[in-house]
Amino acid sequence: MNPALSVKGLTASIASKEILNGLDLEVPFGEVHAIMGPNGSGKSTLCHVLTGKEGYEVAGSALLDGVEILDLPVDERARLGLLQSFQYPTEVPGVRLRDFVYEAAVAHGVSPEEAEARIDKEAARFGVERFLDRSLNDDLSGGEKKRSEIFQMAVLRPKMALLDEIDSGLDIDAVRQVAEAVEEMRSPEMGTLMITHYSRILRYMTPDRIHVMIDGRIVDSGERELADELEAGGYESVRQRLGLTRPAVAAERRPSEFFTETPFDV
Amino acid sequence: MEAAFEVFSKLEEPTGAEEDWRYVEYNLPFSRLAPVGEPGSPVPPGPFVGAIEATSGKALIVDGTVVESSSDQLVVRRLVDIEPERLLNRVPVDHNKLAAAHAAFAHDGLFLDVPEGAVVENPFLIDLQGVTPGAASFPHISVRVGERAEASVIVVYRSAPGESLLMVPQIHLELGQGANLRFLSLQNLDHAATTVTHQRVVLGRDATARIGEVGLGGDFARLDLAVELEGDGSSAETVGLYFGEGTQTLDYRMVIRHAGKHTSSDVFLKGAVEDESQSVFTGLLRIEKDAVGTSTFETNRNLVLSEGAKANSVPNLEILCDDVVCGHGSSVGPPDEESLYYLQSRGLPLPTAERLLIKGFFQEVIDRLPIGGMEEPIADEVFRRFVAHQSEGQVA
Ligand SMILES: Nc1ncnc2c1ncn2[C@@H]1O[C@H](COP(=O)(O)OP(=O)(O)O)[C@@H](O)[C@H]1O
Ligand SMILES: [Mg+2]
Repeated sequence: MNPALSVKGLTASIASKEILNGLDLEVPFGEVHAIMGPNGSGKSTLCHVLTGKEGYEVAGSALLDGVEILDLPVDERARLGLLQSFQYPTEVPGVRLRDFVYEAAVAHGVSPEEAEARIDKEAARFGVERFLDRSLNDDLSGGEKKRSEIFQMAVLRPKMALLDEIDSGLDIDAVRQVAEAVEEMRSPEMGTLMITHYSRILRYMTPDRIHVMIDGRIVDSGERELADELEAGGYESVRQRLGLTRPAVAAERRPSEFFTETPFDV
Repeated sequence: MEAAFEVFSKLEEPTGAEEDWRYVEYNLPFSRLAPVGEPGSPVPPGPFVGAIEATSGKALIVDGTVVESSSDQLVVRRLVDIEPERLLNRVPVDHNKLAAAHAAFAHDGLFLDVPEGAVVENPFLIDLQGVTPGAASFPHISVRVGERAEASVIVVYRSAPGESLLMVPQIHLELGQGANLRFLSLQNLDHAATTVTHQRVVLGRDATARIGEVGLGGDFARLDLAVELEGDGSSAETVGLYFGEGTQTLDYRMVIRHAGKHTSSDVFLKGAVEDESQSVFTGLLRIEKDAVGTSTFETNRNLVLSEGAKANSVPNLEILCDDVVCGHGSSVGPPDEESLYYLQSRGLPLPTAERLLIKGFFQEVIDRLPIGGMEEPIADEVFRRFVAHQSEGQVA
């Protein structure tokens, strides 16, 4: 059986700046993997390159259930079963969440009746009824936006879910709710990639594998113990253990980015 | 009228160099037209007039003549039947050549009087038509809403298919103390027609006006609107949408003047232009020296859907008072890339994503129109224009 997602030698640059640096990754169906990496390591870029956003120079390979997707347009990748939950979901005034997810489900080949039934069921399950008939992501709290993303995912049932910082900007109760939702969505028909720079969400869920991403590459993969190492010693500990030097560009980063270097929830 | 004719004769025709014509070409078919006396035969009801079921009265104005008018709740008169001094008219005769022409040639009009304290639920529907080919007409509409009275008025502009003609209406809305008026104008002239409307709204103390402006028709269609917040505590909201196609020019000139204390206003206008059409919005918020406690907002957003189309958006402020809350936003550009990417990332093909985005863009306005009932035909027409354009593969 194919893995849900298999990425090999993925490189991406924008404005001749290399951001992804030969990235390899495999997520089997039924599993939840976590990618942890400091701010600026390229996590969102990875999500957008896989989703198919324009503007990147991309090379390498990404197979979704065995199908090469890097040459396909954004919507086709989505209909093949790739779905990203955005770190910053876009506000779209005047487009109701209900209408949007309905159109998306129909575009996925779901029958109109089934689409409506799924919308009702998942809206109740993820508590989005309050803003189901309001503009997409407009005027929502951070937590509501993430719930909206998970709700859409539950309706569209992707083969591969990319969850970009689904835990950021949330208070601790909301983080727990999101973690529970991700665990609840776990299914043999789906692979999940959970991207974060905090380890706190891992207190409420058990990924099958944890990958550490630094400077556009996966530098280490492991299980629970890797999360524990990060929680205790930060990315610095992983860097030292692997003999990775800090990149020269670090000096260019804004001071605020250094404060988030440690994966602790401060 | 004779004095007005003199002013009209003396005023030069615009050369196109005037501030008024800065963003658009001056090309009014003035000299080729003649004022009409006898009204032509009306055009049959279309989707907009047909959408309004319950009314408090109706009027049909054809080529500037009030052909029919009746209401069981409002006092309806023809202008010829009332003394000129009872009329409120805030458009100076020498405001411009067209205003002078209106003053000189308007031979009839409609006067609606909402008596003090009357609460009239259903809208009064005015079917405003120009039908005689090559004619210039000067329809006049005055609405007076008495103290504490409430009313709503709809004006639908229409014209004979394919006929080049000029319509120069004046619409005067006067709100007494505590009065409440909802006014919706739906300009759906044929694309061969030209119109320049002067519209004035004058608010007394604690009066509330909600104004809707929908612009779909006309080869050249200008609305010259001034809202005068004279009474303390008065408030006015103006929402509108326009959608230009072909070689249309849709042109909005608005002045919102705060004179009373603690007045508030909000302008929310959205438009799209495709093909070779163009739009203009100039919006002046003027706050007089004594207008303490003013709150005023102005938003104008424009979607440019073709390379050959153009939208001009020029918000302006003139603030003579310190104690005000004021904000304005204006944008001109293609559909938002980030939004399209987001919609596509859920599996919607680009054309579907664009349609959803356009629909949403206008839905925000449609939801805020002051009078219900025409939402569907408006949304349908806007959508039809976009889809027709999209199927020609011309989206920028
Ligand atoms: N559009 C862009 N243009 C130029 N640089 C970018 C762009 N997007 C991201 N970057 C840079 O790429 C690096 C990785 O960004 P990103 O993928 O957002 O990281 P992360 O999600 O891990 O915080 C950062 O240094 C960022 O500044
Ligand atoms: Mg990121």
